Amino acid sequence: MILIHCPYCDEKRAELEFAYAGEAHIARPLDPSALSDEEWETYLFIRNNPRGRHHERWRHAHGCGRFFNAVRDTVTDKFETTYKAGEPRK
Amino acid sequence: MTGYRLPTGGRINRAAPLTFSFDGTSFAGFEGDTLASALLASGVKLFGRSFKYHRPRGLVGSGSEEPNALISVTRGPGRFTPNLRATNVDLYQGMEATSQNRWPSLKFDFGAINDRLGMFFPAGFYNKTFMWPRSFWEKLYEPAIRRMAGLGQAPTDVDPDHYAATYAHCDVLIIGAGPAGIDAALEAAATNKRIILIDEQDELGGGALSDPTLWPWLERSLKALAASPNVQVLARTTAFGYFHDNFIGAVERFTDHLPGIPHGPREKLWRIRAAEVILAQGAIERPLVFEGNDTPGVMLASAAKVFALRYGVAVGQSVALMASHDSGWNDAFAMAGAGVGIAAIIDVRDVVNEALLTKANGLGINVRLGHSVIGVRGRLGVKAISVARNDGTAVSDITCDALLMAGGWTPTVHLWSHSKGSLAWRDDLGAFVPDVPNENVRCVGACAGTWNFGAGVVVDVLPTPKDPARLKAFVDFQNDVTAKDIKLAVREGFRSIEHIKRYTTNGMATDQGKTSNLNGLQIASTALNKPVTDIGLTTFRPPYTPQTFGALAGHAKGALFQPTRKTNIDSWAEEQGAVFELVAQWRRARYFPKAGEDMLAAVNRECRMVRSSVGIFDASTLGKIEVVGPDAAEFLNRMYTNPWKALEPGRCRYGLLLKEDGFITDDGVSARLAPDRFHLTTTTGGAARVLNLMEDYLQTEWPDLNVWLTSTSEHYAVIALQGPNARKVLEPLVEGIDLSAEAFPHMAIREGTICGIPTRLFRVSFTGELGYEINVPSAYGRTLWERIMAEGARYDITPYGTETMHVLRAEKGFIIVGQDTDGTVTPFDAGLDWAVGKKKADFVGKRSLARPDIVAPGRKQLVGLLTDDPNMVLEEGAQIVADPNQPVPMKMIGHVTSSYWSETLGRSIAMALVEGGHSKMGQDIFVPMPGKTHVAKVSSMMFYDAEGARLNV
Amino acid sequence: MSELLARIEPTPAVPFAGNGVTVTSAPPMARFSLRARKATDLEKLLGVSVPQKIGTMQNGVMCLGPDEWLMLAPHGTKIADGSGLSLAVTEVSDRNVAILLEGPRAVAVLAAGCALDFDHFEVGRATRTIFETVEIIVVREAAERFHVEVWRSFAPWLWTAFVTVAAQ
Repeated sequence: MILIHCPYCDEKRAELEFAYAGEAHIARPLDPSALSDEEWETYLFIRNNPRGRHHERWRHAHGCGRFFNAVRDTVTDKFETTYKAGEPRK
Repeated sequence: MTGYRLPTGGRINRAAPLTFSFDGTSFAGFEGDTLASALLASGVKLFGRSFKYHRPRGLVGSGSEEPNALISVTRGPGRFTPNLRATNVDLYQGMEATSQNRWPSLKFDFGAINDRLGMFFPAGFYNKTFMWPRSFWEKLYEPAIRRMAGLGQAPTDVDPDHYAATYAHCDVLIIGAGPAGIDAALEAAATNKRIILIDEQDELGGGALSDPTLWPWLERSLKALAASPNVQVLARTTAFGYFHDNFIGAVERFTDHLPGIPHGPREKLWRIRAAEVILAQGAIERPLVFEGNDTPGVMLASAAKVFALRYGVAVGQSVALMASHDSGWNDAFAMAGAGVGIAAIIDVRDVVNEALLTKANGLGINVRLGHSVIGVRGRLGVKAISVARNDGTAVSDITCDALLMAGGWTPTVHLWSHSKGSLAWRDDLGAFVPDVPNENVRCVGACAGTWNFGAGVVVDVLPTPKDPARLKAFVDFQNDVTAKDIKLAVREGFRSIEHIKRYTTNGMATDQGKTSNLNGLQIASTALNKPVTDIGLTTFRPPYTPQTFGALAGHAKGALFQPTRKTNIDSWAEEQGAVFELVAQWRRARYFPKAGEDMLAAVNRECRMVRSSVGIFDASTLGKIEVVGPDAAEFLNRMYTNPWKALEPGRCRYGLLLKEDGFITDDGVSARLAPDRFHLTTTTGGAARVLNLMEDYLQTEWPDLNVWLTSTSEHYAVIALQGPNARKVLEPLVEGIDLSAEAFPHMAIREGTICGIPTRLFRVSFTGELGYEINVPSAYGRTLWERIMAEGARYDITPYGTETMHVLRAEKGFIIVGQDTDGTVTPFDAGLDWAVGKKKADFVGKRSLARPDIVAPGRKQLVGLLTDDPNMVLEEGAQIVADPNQPVPMKMIGHVTSSYWSETLGRSIAMALVEGGHSKMGQDIFVPMPGKTHVAKVSSMMFYDAEGARLNV
Repeated sequence: MSELLARIEPTPAVPFAGNGVTVTSAPPMARFSLRARKATDLEKLLGVSVPQKIGTMQNGVMCLGPDEWLMLAPHGTKIADGSGLSLAVTEVSDRNVAILLEGPRAVAVLAAGCALDFDHFEVGRATRTIFETVEIIVVREAAERFHVEVWRSFAPWLWTAFVTVAAQ
């Protein structure tokens, strides 16, 4: 059970309190109706599956309740960093 | 049979004799014995039968590395534990133990025929032999293999024991309390750190327990640790797994060593988070590989020393040693000093340390250098060994009743490997040792490869003049893998040790290859003519030793298995004899049978009463979310398919929630209480999911909106009052709300009090009747319910359950998300076009409703079904076909999602997802069911009161 | 307003005296979920200072998240609903119930199913977390006294878990 640093609580807490929430930095288009089917498909379905650094979202679901971003290595399962939602990609 | 207990010595308590039974025979031992040492002391050598060939087997080791002596212990009904290592079973008065994997008896085992047929059971024989014909697998091969294979019997009774669990935190966790672990603990104890020291044995000390010269040190050290308030010592505790971020799973055993049925938990699961871990797990001696090395009485030299010096038991009266390492010599000398007769020392090396020779000569031990054991006589126990020079000459026999193996040492790196620390090969040790850590962990003592056992050579298979292709020289005792199996795997083209392991099953037994991995690797290395480091090492995985399911479950058993959520009104339903069903974690009353009623009769009565008078229903489990803030309406407008901004305070609206892929994920009626306050409802099962989805959009897509979401699901008990008499029942109880149809129309909400309690009163209906949903603070749910029951008695008010709720809503064509939808249904598919705001520029999922696949023809659409036979109630989940005469497999065009007997309509009704269903109105479709194919007409889902006349009264 | 109806609570009214720890159902109380972008927005409404740091409690108000506070007050307490302001006040009095743990083994009872390190969870801390599979809020009121908030329908399970460990 990994420990995850919540950037809002500024504490490492047990994975049990957290929920994974998919790849990070995929913003919902401001005007979806302006997108072609292909563009919408890319937004909706196409995700990275890197070996190594992965930008992903977690939610401190049983803690402060906030969604935040993380960089995790998919090989070692180690977190490089976590940062608040809305902050630039790290 | 008493000649094996040494007259003095050991840590057993000779003043406390114990009796026990093994396979029904009575034996004696002492307090401090293990089952293994007590049986050995009684002259028992045969402990079990091997897994595949059913060969007679005795002890190999003295601890958790033991591969052979797997036994079962029974402590009364339900308390049966198979596959225990006899070496780890602490003896208690009255223990009942039995051997395994034999029939009819341990000495005469029918399955031993497998050994004679061994040529037909080479490595990979399961994969090769039972491929064809396929039909034989299920009826013949599998049952036969299952009968013959496997280890102990699985218990069949419910386990009456209970188990504890805890989390723990420490600065330093030390695993293994041998000399290295104790030293590490003493050093850490001097700091102010929190220390946990755990050891799997009943007594701390590890290797020191079989070295009397260390006993004074041990006693002093343990006293010092006991006096350190910052040190927690856990004996009889096995660290079975090492997980991410220094999280260690361990099981502490409380009662298995005690006679009778003790009180309190049997075991405790420790979930330990440590800042630093120190592994002091020691090393395991390696067996040697030669013909007959699995004969009972052939065992590790270190184990024989433990039996002699810790338990005061001689493993034989005349013991020979086969060594490739100095440590065996020293063990033999120590045993000789304890009174064990050492017949001979054979060493594969031509030259050994002079001091060893001098000492052996001084003890009068027959020494053969440059020799190897080439055979063992005796089937159920060693009677003699054949020895030859390494060139195959000078064959001679030595009479002995036990043969010790000293093949060098393997550091116990299991937990290190769980933690994903890397390993480095040490040629001088012939072993992998811990290298680069992946966590904050270090190894000390023998598990780091630092030991003073002396020198040795690494030998894959001892030299022999015999034909290697016919040699029965075992590598993995528990899975019956021989050296020739590994060579065969290499001949058949396997190159990686991971593949060789899986093909031969070497190291895959419950002992996780503790004694076999390195020998297997050496043999593969020789056969492939490649260095060991090119072949790789297999992965060790948790658990280090097998653990009980009970311990892993911890307190999650019985009442604590998982929460059963009950509403405030549930106790009333229970008292009325309601039949319950689980909906998510909620327990809900399904129907309220009266005497003699089955479900159908009860549901029919409940339906009739709602339609004709008034019914009462516990809707407390509905999810509720309070949406508050200046942007509340804007937020809901973006989330739901329909428009929300213009909804007036005091009014309700049906909300349909999609995911961004355009598929329905939830629905519910929501009310606007004030310009900046909404009361949302969700499905029972969807409450947490919907709140999470909304929080996600709010926090990450629209953080600029000033609106906040709060779950109020459990703040309110909800009582649904449905039926033409609902208003009359309510009127005398409510204050501050005008209930008249004009002042309080359908789909409205009012706040006031009921029986003096503040309420949010919804006028809504999931039945098609005049209806109210009364929200009050949860604690008043039951008492209010009982007041309403009393008030409604004159209308024969009828409690109804979820089953009736389902029937009534189906009569009205109201969908249940998750039953009539399955995550691939759009609003259009569900016939809910009316709930989609055509003029809205955007909402969650809108863009997806224009995706090519969503607008393509032929999608499955939700429709009503009316069977030609009105008495036929279709099975929910039944498949639908267009042409019943087509050949099998037929093309399925949909399935039945909901199906009921409708008491109101006097016939069956159903809902179904059917390809192009909306354009099939009035057409026949066919539903093949067991025995008969039924014909049904596609219809509207509005089976009852389509114009809604009953609602607006 | 006179209450005509009786309340029914999900956990026993009688405390459980375990081994070194007492498990008690807290009396009913008023609870308000308070949401705002800044603590000062709430302070204006409530007239008292509220904690700024997530995981702490002050004046009966605990800060659970960057925009979330939970206020505990005597049963029946009413507060302004903040209508028209850029904040959210929602009454959740009956959503939760509280179980109190007191005694030298209070930490042991919590640690049985909660992964927090209570050696580093000082008096005055208050946090949402999880006990096995059940979400709770733990408040350390004193070294050996904890106030545990839990959603009402999970309370019987949590009570059983606590008394089971307390009895060991």
